[in-house]
Amino acid sequence: MKALSLYQDNGTLIHRVDPISKLLYIAAAIFIPVVLTGFTAGLAMLGLSLMLLVLARVLRKVVPLIGFSMLVLISVVIIQGLFYAGNRQVMFALGGVHFYREGLLFSAAICVRVLNILCAFALLVLTTRPSDLIESLVRQGLSPHFGYVLSSVLQIIPQMTGTMETITDAQRSRGMETEGSLMVRLRAFLPLIGPVVMNSLVSTRERSLALEVRAFSSRAQKTFLNEERVSTSNRVIKIVLLAAMAAAVAWRVVS
Amino acid sequence: MKNSMWSLKLSTSALVLIPAAVGINYIGKLFAGLLKLPLWLDAIGTVLAAMLAGPVVGAICGAINNVIYGLTMDPISFIYGLTSIGIGLSVGVLAHRGRITGIGSAVVVGLIAAVVSTVISTPINIGFWGGQTGNVWGDLVFAWMAAHHFPVWMSSTVDEFIVDVPDKIATVIVAYGIFKGLPQKMTILFRHDSQTEQL
Repeated sequence: MKALSLYQDNGTLIHRVDPISKLLYIAAAIFIPVVLTGFTAGLAMLGLSLMLLVLARVLRKVVPLIGFSMLVLISVVIIQGLFYAGNRQVMFALGGVHFYREGLLFSAAICVRVLNILCAFALLVLTTRPSDLIESLVRQGLSPHFGYVLSSVLQIIPQMTGTMETITDAQRSRGMETEGSLMVRLRAFLPLIGPVVMNSLVSTRERSLALEVRAFSSRAQKTFLNEERVSTSNRVIKIVLLAAMAAAVAWRVVS
Repeated sequence: MKNSMWSLKLSTSALVLIPAAVGINYIGKLFAGLLKLPLWLDAIGTVLAAMLAGPVVGAICGAINNVIYGLTMDPISFIYGLTSIGIGLSVGVLAHRGRITGIGSAVVVGLIAAVVSTVISTPINIGFWGGQTGNVWGDLVFAWMAAHHFPVWMSSTVDEFIVDVPDKIATVIVAYGIFKGLPQKMTILFRHDSQTEQL
């Protein structure tokens, strides 16, 4: 069964860093540029993330992940470049429309911020198996029930996509229109989604019975399938990240 | 024993409803894309779960939905989890008070969900994107208002609101339609305000 995930199994050094350290890295990547305002800190964090992504050999996989945000960012640059409220100084004109310096700077700041956050998350998402992430979160004190819910979602979605294809084919073979005017397409929505929803709710009932039979609600201490790997390098990474965040705050206070 | 709707003790069936609801959100979005509808329809599961099991489960569905989206598609969704939580909570409370009785009231609840969603999303949009939503129609309005020197918060609110209203109304109507079609032996499973015997 294929689970929903963007994980790339390249087995590099980055892949062996534990998920909690990567989460801490995301926190640092967001926190440090917020504390140290200005372009430099954001660009430095972005450069660091890109370097780590290259090291993990997943740089090409980042493109689809940030594709959607790229479209929005392009429209942000255009709209803010043209209409930003503080626009004073014309930077250049393109086909008769003027792009302003202030708006472009404002949108550049947005681009750096968004790309920085996206790349930091990409590092986690592309190099960590979701089940490993969930397991380490449960170790850190997340309720095992929620751990189950999270990993169950990742399995249920490909299953439901399969059901969805079956039902689309079944309804089409009965002559239901799925193409044409907006009204036709709107009307097709309910007969398509209805059976998928019913199907999944019925299996919900069975699933909860199956879980209860296996002592899901038992309050006894849960054990783990995999042994916890404790390494000094992971502890060093965490300490360095925390120190970096503290240093950023100190720098801001002093200067 | 009669539980309040804010009870945090979740039954197994309520917990198992959450993955199904997130799956329904995902399928709704896929079908909307497949049929090329100009709506997102990506909160049907959250709304349905809120109707079935109350505000707490609705809010958890919303949060987990965005965590999963963030992990598998677009990391920006993490932040919009707040919006999903708001939608789950508001619809859950209204459904629990018995305010959804027909299509007319479903439209009103959709409108309320749209207001809640706008109120939460707009500050995020402003802080993150300078006020835009990424939806073509909304952003055209945003550009027009920005060009006519409306303040950012106002153009951003309008941008989000005109996209949210049709989407949330359609979402609540679809979820209500499904909810009405469910047999009672299904709906009784998730209600935790009435007395239920645990297995």
